[in-house]
Amino acid sequence: MNEPIIEVKQLAKKFGDFEAVKDVSFTVNKGDVFGFLGPNGAGKSTTIRCLLSLISPNSGSIAIFGQNLSSNRSQILNNIGSIIEKPDFYRYLSAEKNLEIFARISGSDSSKKDIQEMLEFVGLNGRGKDKVKGFSHGMKQRLGIAQTLLHKPDLIILDEPTTGLDPQGIIEVRNLILRLKTEQNKTVVLSSHQLSEIEIIANRMVIINKGKSVIEGSVEALVNEQELLLQIELNNPENAIKLLATEYPNLVVKHLYGSTIEIAVEKDMVPKINYLLVNKGFEIHSLEPKRKLEDFFMKIIQE
Amino acid sequence: MKNIFLTLTIFCSFSLSCQTADELVSLIIRKIELVKDYSVSANIKADIPLIKVLPVNATIYFKQKDKFKVVSKGIAILPKQGFTDVSSFLSKKGTYVSVDGGLVVLNGIKAHIVTVIPTVENSDIVLAKLWVDIKQNVIIKTDLTTRGSGSVTIDYIYGYQVGYALPDKITFTVDVKKFKMPKSVSADINNTEKNKKPDPNKSKKGTITISLTNYTVNKGISDEIFKKKD
Amino acid sequence: MLLKNTYNEFIKIIAKPRSYIGLGVLTALILVILFAMKADGSSYISFVTASFEQTLSFNGNILNGNLIAFIILQMLIVHIPLLVALVTGDLISGEAAMGTIRMLATKPISRTNIVLSKFIAGAVYTLILTIWLAFLALVVVKWMFGSGDMIVLNSSGLVILQEGDIFWRYGCSFIVAYLALLTVSSLSICLSAFAENSIGPIVSTMGIIILFTIIGSLDVTVFDSIKKFLFTTHMASWRSFFEDPINLKDIWQSIIILVVHNILLVGIAVIKFNKKDITS
Repeated sequence: MNEPIIEVKQLAKKFGDFEAVKDVSFTVNKGDVFGFLGPNGAGKSTTIRCLLSLISPNSGSIAIFGQNLSSNRSQILNNIGSIIEKPDFYRYLSAEKNLEIFARISGSDSSKKDIQEMLEFVGLNGRGKDKVKGFSHGMKQRLGIAQTLLHKPDLIILDEPTTGLDPQGIIEVRNLILRLKTEQNKTVVLSSHQLSEIEIIANRMVIINKGKSVIEGSVEALVNEQELLLQIELNNPENAIKLLATEYPNLVVKHLYGSTIEIAVEKDMVPKINYLLVNKGFEIHSLEPKRKLEDFFMKIIQE
Repeated sequence: MKNIFLTLTIFCSFSLSCQTADELVSLIIRKIELVKDYSVSANIKADIPLIKVLPVNATIYFKQKDKFKVVSKGIAILPKQGFTDVSSFLSKKGTYVSVDGGLVVLNGIKAHIVTVIPTVENSDIVLAKLWVDIKQNVIIKTDLTTRGSGSVTIDYIYGYQVGYALPDKITFTVDVKKFKMPKSVSADINNTEKNKKPDPNKSKKGTITISLTNYTVNKGISDEIFKKKD
Repeated sequence: MLLKNTYNEFIKIIAKPRSYIGLGVLTALILVILFAMKADGSSYISFVTASFEQTLSFNGNILNGNLIAFIILQMLIVHIPLLVALVTGDLISGEAAMGTIRMLATKPISRTNIVLSKFIAGAVYTLILTIWLAFLALVVVKWMFGSGDMIVLNSSGLVILQEGDIFWRYGCSFIVAYLALLTVSSLSICLSAFAENSIGPIVSTMGIIILFTIIGSLDVTVFDSIKKFLFTTHMASWRSFFEDPINLKDIWQSIIILVVHNILLVGIAVIKFNKKDITS
């Protein structure tokens, strides 16, 4: 039985005449790494800010840990660690002092040892005494994660945690999030506008667009529901297209480039096509199934 | 014989009461010159429009001819003119003429009025009117008109140092008509005292009363005292 | 939580370089005044006593520490609000500009406590500034110029206060001056709750002080009814302790008006910050 940690129902928020969030509903269960996916301006940040009581919604309800957010704000926030957009720190203070400051008001009595351990966990050991103004964006991001974890919260909310990071930084942060799930069994809510990121990290997700939640579910199920684009590199692509058109007249086959053809297929058709082409004497150099989730995502956000 | 005695008595009393102004001034100067130096404890009380000050204790030092010093822990206000100016003015014989002003009774004391007018151009004192106690040969009142400091009236009350013409109490009455408050200095950011502006009809006279006790006369005073800065 | 966050605020203020600008500038200003007084203090004194000097002579140590402390206070009362606002105007808006306000507001501390802790920290900073001013004006200046009776030139005339009668007056006047500066601190923190950058509240605070001061000094009847309610009117109330006799009624009225200003400004800041959507 899934235990809901966050339940958002029909959330709406207006800034003047602009409706940033119109109707967003979703549920995050305990232990989820929950992806919050949507293009820029979809309402992700506004929704996340509502979850953290930075913004008061105009309507709808938010329950976290089974309690209403507006009436149990402090109690709920006591058990949440978060980074919104980018972690900002007091630049004129050291990493350690920053962590001390945030720990002091996070309801935890973190010792110097706890702080050192946390800096070690995020790979900043030895940099605790350095002022934050000298930190790179990646280092700040890792310090931000240390800050979210220091008071040992059950729920971690990360808004666009890899934005602005270099490839190595993205991998580091991604691995850190996965370790939170596997080593510490935290529930993580992660917003992103990058589908690939959500696919890699999250087990469940919601897609929101134009202030509305469009689809919610398991990442695997959503991925598997979609058609594949099968890309095959082989000799004599023109003959292969003719053969496939004869054998499977319903398939859409096109010559992609050079010796590569592309076929939109159901997952169970892939071995049949492979068998047919090999049997007819084609030399297959590569066969790569591409999912169409990105197309699906693009279709959703263009609607 | 009887007539001669009567004539002598009448002459003497006449001459006592009818000393000439110059003679009186000479008598005063003689007394003044008896004092080579003195120090005295003073209590200075000022009642001057626009100035609020509590009585101050001070020590006053004087040494002939014109060394004068007031030493006080606090701020003491004295008239610019009048403390030693009359005596030093009278000491400069030949720089003034004295004119007889007749006899009067002032505060129960029989006094001879002498008006002293300087004959030199650069004298700061323009006119001095003296009331001289003809019995003690001391000045009991002065009306001083000066070039730079307006007019000052000085009343003297004598006690045990009357032999040296040193008073126990001096009251200066000064003219305050020239007092104007410099606005730029007194201006607050916000003047909260609008209703306290000086009343133009208020008395224009201020008095400074100095009570003098514990005279030490002619015991010698080091010049160093007069050189010290406040 | 309020105390913990207040402690945090102190750490931030201590670590911020701009916090020392106020103390540094204050020290420099006082040193300049002291240098001027040491070099040519007598001409300043003769300016004060000019209108009496034809008739009266002032004997004693007039240019003493007590008078110079008063001159310093009088001169600096215009500038210290800027030094206060420089730090306090940044307390909320600076966090918004830096982005740390997001971090703060997602912690289990109420927004009211966040604002109150900033007010307390601002009040303590203002107190430190006032104590530093008092230390320089009373201790250092007296050490350099000695003590003595004090001449005060008010619009009603000269008041000469005796040395033994001065220290308590300074004590009380510093308390009232502190209350006035605290109002400046509260104003800038209140404006800071509305802004997303530090310059706005600092400039607005000084703008309001200048505007109110001009309104207060204009002899126009249309402003008479509001003048007494402007906090700037009461910023110079510390001077009243150097009157003789002291008008206690006026001083109490000033204290009440300044306290009411502080309560209102704190209240407005708390309400605004609680309702504020943090979008930075």
